[in-house]
Amino acid sequence: MADENLSGETVENPSATTDERSVFASLLAPRYLVGLLAVVVFAMLPFLGISTTQLLVLIGALYFGLFTMSWDTVSGYTGEISFGHAIFFAVGGYTSALLNLGHGVTPALSIPAGVVLAAVAGVLIGVPALRLRGPYLSLVTLVAPLILLQAFIVYGDVFGGELGLSSPANLITADEFGLVVVANYYIALSLFLVVMVGLLLIMRSGIGSVLTAIREDEDAVAAAGIDVAKFKVFAFVLSAAVGGLAGAMFVHTPIGSPQPSQLLGLIVSIEVLIAAILGGMGTIVGAGLGGVFFYFTNDLLNQQDATIPLIDVGINEASLLLFALLAMVIIYFLPQGIFPSAIRTGRRGLRRARGDETVATDGGRDADGAAATGDTTNPIAQTAERYRRALDALNDRFDGGDDE
Amino acid sequence: MSTESNADTTNESATNGTQTGESEPDGATTGREGETTSDAYGPDDGLLVLRNVTKRFGGLTAVDDLSFAVEEGEILGFIGPNGAGKSTTFNCVTGVYPPTDGTVHYDGEDVTDTAAHKMVKRGLARTFQSFRPLEDRTVLDNVTFALTPDKLFSLSGFRGGLSERAREICERVGLGDRTGLSPSELPHAGLLRLELARALATDPDLLLIDEPFAGLSGGEVEDVSELLTELREEGLTLVVVDHNMRGLLSLIDRAIVIRFGSKLASGTPEEIRANKEVQEAYLGGSL
Repeated sequence: MADENLSGETVENPSATTDERSVFASLLAPRYLVGLLAVVVFAMLPFLGISTTQLLVLIGALYFGLFTMSWDTVSGYTGEISFGHAIFFAVGGYTSALLNLGHGVTPALSIPAGVVLAAVAGVLIGVPALRLRGPYLSLVTLVAPLILLQAFIVYGDVFGGELGLSSPANLITADEFGLVVVANYYIALSLFLVVMVGLLLIMRSGIGSVLTAIREDEDAVAAAGIDVAKFKVFAFVLSAAVGGLAGAMFVHTPIGSPQPSQLLGLIVSIEVLIAAILGGMGTIVGAGLGGVFFYFTNDLLNQQDATIPLIDVGINEASLLLFALLAMVIIYFLPQGIFPSAIRTGRRGLRRARGDETVATDGGRDADGAAATGDTTNPIAQTAERYRRALDALNDRFDGGDDE
Repeated sequence: MSTESNADTTNESATNGTQTGESEPDGATTGREGETTSDAYGPDDGLLVLRNVTKRFGGLTAVDDLSFAVEEGEILGFIGPNGAGKSTTFNCVTGVYPPTDGTVHYDGEDVTDTAAHKMVKRGLARTFQSFRPLEDRTVLDNVTFALTPDKLFSLSGFRGGLSERAREICERVGLGDRTGLSPSELPHAGLLRLELARALATDPDLLLIDEPFAGLSGGEVEDVSELLTELREEGLTLVVVDHNMRGLLSLIDRAIVIRFGSKLASGTPEEIRANKEVQEAYLGGSL
């Protein structure tokens, strides 16, 4: 079962508990090799005859992947679903853009400022959120970016209202646009990888174990003597800082600009949520890849000229509709997300190919673990359970919660 | 310290309606130290002291002016019919929610309205009536989790040591051969053991156990009783909550019986068994 979750720390356990497999050996595990291969492929893409336009889309996809990892840090791990994560992207992006446009601050300073303000926003939402659970917290996160958007509209002369601001200075300037795009691609890819590895390390240090336990049962975490509030606020602030960083960097790329449609709209928050769940909630890697996949596929569908037979609607017009339908099908059949399911399938295939060998090197735990879990626990089920419990608690309050 | 004692309080928790008159809480039976005087306890009268704890939910009084003390090293039975306010009392003590009124002292200090995780750090652990293992990890990882320090950043090397300790605890409660299982694979008695293991992992001085015997077979009740007795001999103080007395009276040193949120009787198992009001409350049932 530990392996089913794939939220990092649990995967490490077999080596920690049973045998002293070295970190180096575990890095040679097939899925890390596949990951390494993927990194190499991504790094070589600009040399594989890919067009500048497609590269631009990939840049957008990588930043969107950063957004989804930001969402995953708090919502995927703790199960407190944020419906308005765009607020952090917007705070980061708008801060950096405003400082750069209005005061000529270089991106090297305006971006960190955006990160700091986003982290502050994380505290502002995270701390009051401690008093709320499940659906009530989700409601707060849903409303917060709407308030910010209204503020942007009311103070339109500063924030540019619904149309947003003009693009601030680019991170890279060069004579040739193609070169700028390639450079931006590598910046985006590096940022994506650094954030992914950084978040993975944090989640595997033990924090991830606490956060997923919060998702499972907050009271049980408190009963273990662990301060749930501290960990929740940490998750919120970390998530907000990552989201702010991504938003702030994004507005300085050729494809991103400080506009509500890109950073703050409700649709942004919802797309991030869908993409992260599709990729794999509470896995960082899955959520990040889910974001890249979502953005890329969405764009691909948008570019199709063909019309869907029978209903006579262009694919490009119905792209989000198609994607939403696809998302529902995937979530129905793979509730853990694409990435964890793919790893499990891969592992099963490998084990079958090798016979008993794998089981032996894993000290038997792996096989046990895989056998142990039914499909009873996955992040979505845990989150649903959280919501149910929060509603029950409210019910109790009305009924006068006595013993069962 | 204990001026506002109202031992002969005429229970006016009228919201419950069918109160069977003013049962003088301590009249018939006498507990150990000082309990005969009244419901008044000083903060140092025991490891855990509740004074006039009241908990209201809207118009309903779930716990009504309840006072009692848990002495160090004893096994105290906390008994009451369903809906008597046992779990609510528990929740007030363990910091799930604050009492509406009254104070809770632990180890001589006022801990009223202390957060749940801080109570655990002070040495007061609890098990849940409905078992709440973390379903997404193994038995061993459940116990390891309970050992995890409450720190955002701790040295990552600690995991090996923790799981070693977790394994010992699993063996202590009789789960040594099932550490690799998922909680969903454990039988009911196994889950109870896991709850105990997780509570023990927090290194408590006082352990509140909520309805351990519900759903256990006779043999399992004996096994668990034996385990709890051993834990007491190792220096733990235990409070065992249950709504029936089957298996409980032979385990405990002393019992407190509550009904409608207030104390009905207290004393040794024999005294409880002989108490008319307790018999009445249980309608001659499960005694």
